[in-house]
Amino acid sequence: MTVMTVIDLRNVVYQYPDEKRPVLGGIDLCVSGTGLTALVGPNGSGKTTLGKMMAGILKPDSGSVRINGRDASEMSLGEIGQQVGYLFQEPDRQLFAPTVQEELAFVSRVRGAAEEDIAGRVGNMLDRFHLSHLRERFPFSLSRGEKQRLVLAAILIQCPRFLILDEPTTALDVRRKAELAENLSDLDSEGVGMLVISHDHEFATRRASRVIELRGGAVHADTRY
Amino acid sequence: MQTHVTEVGSDFDPRAKLVAVMCLSSLAVVFQRPLPLALILILAVLSARYFRSDAVQAARRLRAFLWIFAAMAFVQSLFTAGGAPLLSVCGISLLSTLGLERAGSIVLRFLVIIVSASIMATSSPREIVQGLYQWRVPYELAFMVAVAVRFLPLLRDEAHDALTAIQLRGLKLESIPLRQRLQIYSYLLMPMIASVLGKARELAVAVEMRGFRAYDRRTSHRTLRMRARDWGVVSAAVLVSVGVLGVFMHM
Ligand SMILES: Nc1ncnc2c1ncn2[C@@H]1O[C@H](COP(=O)(O)OP(=O)(O)OP(=O)(O)O)[C@@H](O)[C@H]1O
Ligand SMILES: [Mg+2]
Repeated sequence: MTVMTVIDLRNVVYQYPDEKRPVLGGIDLCVSGTGLTALVGPNGSGKTTLGKMMAGILKPDSGSVRINGRDASEMSLGEIGQQVGYLFQEPDRQLFAPTVQEELAFVSRVRGAAEEDIAGRVGNMLDRFHLSHLRERFPFSLSRGEKQRLVLAAILIQCPRFLILDEPTTALDVRRKAELAENLSDLDSEGVGMLVISHDHEFATRRASRVIELRGGAVHADTRY
Repeated sequence: MQTHVTEVGSDFDPRAKLVAVMCLSSLAVVFQRPLPLALILILAVLSARYFRSDAVQAARRLRAFLWIFAAMAFVQSLFTAGGAPLLSVCGISLLSTLGLERAGSIVLRFLVIIVSASIMATSSPREIVQGLYQWRVPYELAFMVAVAVRFLPLLRDEAHDALTAIQLRGLKLESIPLRQRLQIYSYLLMPMIASVLGKARELAVAVEMRGFRAYDRRTSHRTLRMRARDWGVVSAAVLVSVGVLGVFMHM
């Protein structure tokens, strides 16, 4: 039995400290656990801000964000991270370890998992994301596409039930994009819910069961298929 | 003719501020005991207020690194003999008065440097470069000083982002034992170093492409002039430093 993750936003208003007007002007949105939801909209419409809000990285000025019924502002980032995975736009800021292998293993190790269990899961992820031949490499010397696959693998190894991906197709060539799409389809059939933020309209909407369009910090359209 | 609306606090010559900052940070490096360092910190905070820099804000943002400071107290206690043990297990002193004192000094010294460096951030990088250049500091060097001043806040943002990302991997920092927490902080250094190196490389290429160093002499549009009160700041900084040195060297 998989537990469905639900992220529920009520009248969320947010303004960056040094800006004059709010980026998000009262958003009501409920994204539920399964299927792929695409979040599209022009540059600067507030997509990234909304994604960060849903992962509890930013706290709303007013309104509330609830993750599985709990107020996100009362949860620590570590707690949220065990339920929601977040892929940042910039891969460099989310790579930490000296080797690819350790990048996948260190969180489990800190959390006290058994070594053979870790080795098995790391092996799985290396295969699944075509990273086996790079296992001893220094993560920062990988290509942008390889870095992104590594970050995705490192997030998924913790088995989050919901995944937020911010512009996952940036800097991916046609083949890598197709591979990413395949990975996301697999996750979808495993019951992992996803929110894909992208202005690559075609990529984001092809597999989506719901498309949310943001304009000027408000939900402009919300279509379910 | 252009009228300049000067920001509050930025109306001192950047060189005067630089001298003050250098005096303060040199003092912080010279002294090792907590008492003089505390006094220097007070001086630094007062100067920062005088130049209207947001030193308190700068220091507050370092709160996340408090754990590193705490860890330093233990490390210093473990590896330095002497002082009265405050906490010991099987005859090994985990926390001693000397260890605490050493860690305290490191923290104070660090704070002095951060607080006084925040004074420089009240000048624009262009002013700093121009000021130093007029003092016959080679342009390349002046440019580097200005870039370093601007890099500090960026570095802080990077650290913050990395800390967010690592927690979102599912690490509950709040319930992780100290030893492992330290290990996690060491992981944070990786993305920070990588990004700083990356930025430095980009900057180097970008300035070379714009003809940095292509000509020996630079023509400057603006010239800076040290006024009476700038010299006042310089002499006050030097006199106070000499005074502090004199007093504590005798004790
Ligand atoms: N850290 C910040 N501080 C101040 N303003 C910000 C910050 N981040 C974003 N903004 C502003 O908020 C608005 C929305 O930004 P956001 O990054 O959410 O848009 P986006 O839809 O993700 O854009 P893109 O398609 O370019 O990624 C923009 O006008 C941007 O300038
Ligand atoms: Mg964005």
